Amino acid sequence: MSSALLLQSLILGILLGGLYALLAAGLTLYFGVMRVVMIAHSAFLILAGYLAWFFTVTTGWDPLISLVITVPVFFGLGVAVQRLLMTRLKPASLTMMSVLLTFAIALVIEGMLGFTFTGVQRRIKLDYGAASIELFGAQVAVVKLVAFGLAVLALGALWLVLKKTSFGQALRATIQHKEAAELVGVDTAKVASYGFGLGLATAAVGGTALALDATIYPSLHWHWIGPLFAIIVVGGLGSIPGAAIAAMLLGITQSLLQVPLGTTWAQTVFYLALFVTLIVRPQGFFGGRLAQRF
Amino acid sequence: MRNDSDLQATGRWAGLRRSPQRMTGLTLVVVVAVFALVFPMTTSTGYLLSTGVVILNYALLATGWNFMGGFTGYISLGHAAYFGLGCYTTAILIDRVELSWWLALALTPVIVGLIAVPIGIAALRVRGASFVIVTIAFVLILLLVSQSWVSLTGGSTGIMIPRPFDGLTRVEHHRVFYYIFVAALVLALFVWWRIDRSRFGMGLKAVREDEDKARALGVPTFWAKLIAFVWSAVFTSLAGGLYALWFGDLDPVFQFSILMGAYMVLMALLGGVRELYGPVVGAIVVGLSIEFFKAEFGDTQFHLVATGLLLAVVVLFMPEGVIPAVRGLFTRFGPQASSIREETAEQLAARQDAVGATTPGSES
Repeated sequence: MSSALLLQSLILGILLGGLYALLAAGLTLYFGVMRVVMIAHSAFLILAGYLAWFFTVTTGWDPLISLVITVPVFFGLGVAVQRLLMTRLKPASLTMMSVLLTFAIALVIEGMLGFTFTGVQRRIKLDYGAASIELFGAQVAVVKLVAFGLAVLALGALWLVLKKTSFGQALRATIQHKEAAELVGVDTAKVASYGFGLGLATAAVGGTALALDATIYPSLHWHWIGPLFAIIVVGGLGSIPGAAIAAMLLGITQSLLQVPLGTTWAQTVFYLALFVTLIVRPQGFFGGRLAQRF
Repeated sequence: MRNDSDLQATGRWAGLRRSPQRMTGLTLVVVVAVFALVFPMTTSTGYLLSTGVVILNYALLATGWNFMGGFTGYISLGHAAYFGLGCYTTAILIDRVELSWWLALALTPVIVGLIAVPIGIAALRVRGASFVIVTIAFVLILLLVSQSWVSLTGGSTGIMIPRPFDGLTRVEHHRVFYYIFVAALVLALFVWWRIDRSRFGMGLKAVREDEDKARALGVPTFWAKLIAFVWSAVFTSLAGGLYALWFGDLDPVFQFSILMGAYMVLMALLGGVRELYGPVVGAIVVGLSIEFFKAEFGDTQFHLVATGLLLAVVVLFMPEGVIPAVRGLFTRFGPQASSIREETAEQLAARQDAVGATTPGSES
């Protein structure tokens, strides 16, 4: 592999890793606040992508503007899903049943997308869609940079919310120890539903970023859920920094392996990492047991 | 020991006499079984017969799933992996190794069962959420591999399996496979029933209720789970092998589909995972619904929405399944258990004489 190609792959890997990091952060957030495995996360991601596409097709404006609508709407949706559906499940079997319930949500979203927009592959046409700039001697598409910037901004915002606000403190406390958080006066039910909202908001941002530079179709979410799950298990369920680090590492590895192996086999790196993690360190590499620390 | 089993037996039969719903249940099973056996001879419509085969296939898959999901409570969303492995093992043994179909079919559960051992060892290291994630990941891996490894699986163009019986019409082909599937289903139900009543099954159910306590009480939880996992893979792959022989054409997208895994969970859950016939009932209900949705909504993706809604309703409102829910209705509206004896003192004395000196405590 020539050094230019290596550099190109590395940069693309970092850009991809940023998007993975944002999405995995959302996914691990649900698990942190409620021990819920949100299979529908990537379905919401694709939904946001479709909304961005639909927004651009109907208004002709830039898809990024659709975020003004989708982010609050998805936040509200997340709160609603948590309040109306997740809290109905019995606590004893919450984790298992939440898997099935969110799977059902994913099926409904996929079916509705296919029903409304048909199974035709969609792509947003942008003026700057084909443009690329030179970065350290490698050609990088502008849309990928925009998507990465969006992901970094959203992750930064998430970090600020979690670290600097009292709500964030309450949320981290809920993740660490729910009962203890309740004892010191945190309304964990409310925090959990807002945590869900935050998670879905990351899906809204991620979906828009994805739609900038990828072709989307209703069943695309199955290709995302596997890698994302692998990332949060490798990072340690419930740990947001763990998810971000694992996302970066695996994104870069995937991108580097794409050159010698091709796209399909390169994707298996996620599953390989997942199985190695389970054998060597089932609780994940970065987070410690169930997000003992943030 | 002997006294214990005597006591249990007396209690069992007494229960049968006392509870009309038990008789109703037994009658229902017999009626359904007779209908299922007679049905293929009454029709020569290919569509009806093939729908019957599809539903039996679902029933076998869901029963296979229930070896893991029902006994241990470990919900696998990725059991399509073993279905697909079963399909492809049979196909590859016939097409590439050139074995006869029955040998290929007989070897399939053995091979897939062996493959399931290392997978089980890895997957069973974790519980709950991580376990589900691993099972999903396994299907996605196999989908990738079967699409990419063209020389072995034929990739997206698929693989064709010649029909095992020569000289049969399409309808006869369906009819023969209908009965083969019935036989396989009966075998699976029999094994499940035996495990259900065994000490081993008790250990598995203890894992379902509280794994840590079960372990503390001396249940070898890991091995118990692994054995259940392998049994589950064996019967699921048997369904796959039969499907491959029946359908004759495989495609990775349909064989390793998460949707198929979701169907298995939905069926078992809808029927009731703690019941012997739960997955079969679920397969009939869900299988007919799926066929109906597909016929009704055709090529649109609306059948996904319908399946999703059905799954959500089951999870939210009857996570124990239909059979326990219906039985609950029976108990509520049926004859109430009361403390008043419904037999005279003479009858009671006569029965106690018959049983012998060891009067069952449960009768007083």
